[in-house]
Amino acid sequence: MLPTLIILALLAGLAILALLFFGIEPLSQSRWGRISLLIGIVAVPLLVSGGSLSTGFHQSSRTSFCLSCHEMQRYGMSLFADNRAALSAVHYQNRFVDRDSTCYSCHADYAMFGDVKAKMNGLRHVWVHYFGKVPEKISLYQPYAAANCLHCHEDARRFVEAPPHQPILGSLYDGTTGCFASGCHNVAHDMKAVDEHRLWQAK
Amino acid sequence: MASEVNVHVRSMRRAAVVAALGLLVQLGGSFYWTPLTFIASAAIGLPLVGIGALLFLRAAFRIMKERGAL
Repeated sequence: MLPTLIILALLAGLAILALLFFGIEPLSQSRWGRISLLIGIVAVPLLVSGGSLSTGFHQSSRTSFCLSCHEMQRYGMSLFADNRAALSAVHYQNRFVDRDSTCYSCHADYAMFGDVKAKMNGLRHVWVHYFGKVPEKISLYQPYAAANCLHCHEDARRFVEAPPHQPILGSLYDGTTGCFASGCHNVAHDMKAVDEHRLWQAK
Repeated sequence: MASEVNVHVRSMRRAAVVAALGLLVQLGGSFYWTPLTFIASAAIGLPLVGIGALLFLRAAFRIMKERGAL
């Protein structure tokens, strides 16, 4: 979906600049004219650019944005893996996360600077995509933090009451036991299912 | 005096053109967000708008200085 509002705002900003371009000489003669020049050439473009940047940040959290790089397309397909133990597939197919921001929902830390960190990592990915060498096997920069899982599951009844979780709830909450590291949920993306085309077909 | 006015008008026009280029780059990116268009928008479009604003403010500052308003 096109961010219509920001496109209209950018077009309006451009139209104002075009009008002012031809009206600079008469406008610069009067006080209000100079104020309108200040608004039209400085304030409006800066404001619209701020909106555009904010829209860009929002758009860069979308699943379609992440999957626009070919390196990520297999991971996108893994969202459809026909495997109920594969975390990405389960979350996507059951709508446990917003499908429009699936990647970002799990791959951004929920700590204070989690968004910034995720965007910085994104920039690093773009750099590698265009100027570096993409590794054969793509892996996380650091082990997946259980805190990200707990951000949603922490007090969820299904999570708390699950018999395997109950004896280790304390260690799950304090981070000494990780969902992945424990080996219980160690399939994040089922790439084997992708290679074998074992995919779930959404109706 | 007239030529000075023209100089300032030219500077302001240049500022408007640079800012417009910045908005154009951002507009291009807004139609299809990909990592490349996002980077172009943030790293080229936004600075161009900033440069346009600075050019305009410099011209305005010079006009005010010449008129003894500062």
